[in-house]
Amino acid sequence: MFRIIKKSLKIGVVTGRYQRAERPTIPVTPEATERSRLFKRSLAIREVDTGSCNACEMEMNALLNPVYDAERFGIHIAASPRHADALVVTGPVTINMEGALKDVYKQTPDPKIVIALGDCAINCGLFKGSYAVTGPVDRHVPVDMSISGCPPRPAEILAALSELREDDATAER
Amino acid sequence: MPETRSYDNALKMAFPSIVQVGGTPHRAYSRFLVPKDLLSTITRYLHTQPDLRGRLTLLWASDHRPTREAYEIHYLFTLEASHHWVVLSIELADTDRLFPSITSHIHAAQWYEREIRDMFGLIPEGHPDLRRLVRHEHWPQGTHPLKKDFHWNHVLERQQGEYRFRHIEGEGVFEVPVGPIHAGIIEPGHFRFFVAGEPIMQLELRHFWKHRGVEKLFEQLTLIDAVLLAERVSGDTTVGHALAYCQAVETLLDIQVPRRAKYLRSLFLELERLYNHLGDIGAMCNDTAYSLAHAHCGRMKERVMQLNDRLVGSRFLRGVMQVGGVSWDVDRKELSNIAQELTDIQKDFSEVGAIIFANASLTDRLETTGVLTEQIAWDHAVMGVVGRASGRDCDLRRDRPFAAYDELPVNVALYRYGDVRARLRVRGDEIHESIRLIREICSRIPDGPLASEPSKLGTPGDWTLAAVEGWRGEILYMVMAGEDGRIQRCKVRDPSFVNWPAIQWAVLGNIIPDFPLINKSFNLSYAGNDL
Ligand code: SF4
Repeated sequence: MFRIIKKSLKIGVVTGRYQRAERPTIPVTPEATERSRLFKRSLAIREVDTGSCNACEMEMNALLNPVYDAERFGIHIAASPRHADALVVTGPVTINMEGALKDVYKQTPDPKIVIALGDCAINCGLFKGSYAVTGPVDRHVPVDMSISGCPPRPAEILAALSELREDDATAER
Repeated sequence: MPETRSYDNALKMAFPSIVQVGGTPHRAYSRFLVPKDLLSTITRYLHTQPDLRGRLTLLWASDHRPTREAYEIHYLFTLEASHHWVVLSIELADTDRLFPSITSHIHAAQWYEREIRDMFGLIPEGHPDLRRLVRHEHWPQGTHPLKKDFHWNHVLERQQGEYRFRHIEGEGVFEVPVGPIHAGIIEPGHFRFFVAGEPIMQLELRHFWKHRGVEKLFEQLTLIDAVLLAERVSGDTTVGHALAYCQAVETLLDIQVPRRAKYLRSLFLELERLYNHLGDIGAMCNDTAYSLAHAHCGRMKERVMQLNDRLVGSRFLRGVMQVGGVSWDVDRKELSNIAQELTDIQKDFSEVGAIIFANASLTDRLETTGVLTEQIAWDHAVMGVVGRASGRDCDLRRDRPFAAYDELPVNVALYRYGDVRARLRVRGDEIHESIRLIREICSRIPDGPLASEPSKLGTPGDWTLAAVEGWRGEILYMVMAGEDGRIQRCKVRDPSFVNWPAIQWAVLGNIIPDFPLINKSFNLSYAGNDL
């Protein structure tokens, strides 16, 4: 026990020890901001991977580590689409995942927003045109917001989300 | 190597009708053309002969039309004692579409043969399970994407169809479907459990949700440009895949990689191993609800990823590999910074490790959970972290040195129990070993150029193999050159493809709530598996 406390004291607070990101390259539209007004203080995200290379997933996971700690902005990950306010979709949509993506979209209660995360989700990236890929996310479900990068850094994801919610609490200090 | 030749001769003596081909000295394998009807006998001989003990390492097919009306199927075995590679090749000429299945005596061939059936339409005769693997049921009949007459941007129609799981029926037997979309932030895959009471009686995997047609996409690229695609086969193994790919192409184009580049390649590979292992240990603790260790490990992983970002401008070390060497230098000052930072991280990790292993309730969850026995690991050709936790003593960095490992001897972590704890321990040991290797690299790295320029395009039809010990295990690439410096065929094999089936055995008798923990302890890639 003593060892654990000593370690925690020695490490101290690491939250916020990262380089702040610039403003997102793809601007957030006023409509998207309007739609997410409801979720200003609390945003439950369901992440859906429709064929990514898993680097985008890893960066989403990194959002939850003590350094980025997205929960301090009221962003949390919901275990089921039925509990989600937002869907974050990564990867080009593969022919095998297309049905699952549409199902998840239907199961997420309205109002909801859809965020395409990473270049693959936005324009299929390197996988564009492949027989097994049926197109970027917005071909199958309406997308409200896109975060570019391959993969986007966690700081960039946070910056984009804070821009979306225009929330002072989220603004980088 | 005289020793190598003696294996080859023994094989030729035992089977006089096989023909040895190739013989370019830098191709690090012996290759034999085998008559189709002898294949089963020879593979069985290679696999079971006590002084050979061949482990099926890769099985792939290639379509040689329109040059030649033929398909070829190749079987790569690694001999246990000498780590020598033997390739057996059979040819299916003209309209022949049948090849003998070896799954009944070499279980590791199971998925490969089903994959070949899906991708080429060739039928493995005698395979016990001919359900579709990569092509889900809604793909129309007769679509085999890797055939040369299938266009890479073909738009697939849909059909109706249903996948049939293997069923266990009886009183009190429940079927639990999980996936493809999971509760955490994980990749998609489907798991079908059968339980009676608490223990799992059977698990069946249904994967390939993320199939993106990677191998076909390779065929649209040139040998030099395709590194970008190799980096995106499995994002967490960016360096491993890119390196394996580059090594294959360098053999094809006779490129000598400068020594400094070799050291930098090892450096990047170890950094990748480091951040992934740190993350995995944290994630395993998290699945036992021990969030303190998870937080500490997440913090350390983040530290390494930020270090990567500062070094090369990418948290995943993307864009550093190129055919012929590396495209990014790390100068002396940065090298000493790395060494310094890693010394800190090592101390940090040792302290956290002491806390983790002093926790009795954690140990209780980890020990005897998800045991993969050495026998099953051998039968399924399991390697990498999972293999080393089950007593399979293999590590390409030591056995077939690449990059700078010929000058950097690696101490291989080895445990025998095959449970979750053993897999955690392997990772813990490898973290220390990686840090030691990186320190060594930082002090011994020679000066010199970063890359050599390719001077030719490659002979069409010429192919070779390359292997890299990534953080998960052996990554293999088979690259065949095409016209004008393009790729004719590229077979990609992530260790996940081999290790996934083994998880079906490791979970037996465990309870479903332990499955996430066991799965995390394997931590296999879905993207690298599905391609
Ligand atoms: S955008 Fe890049 S990192 Fe994200 S899934 Fe695609 S290839 Fe991977």
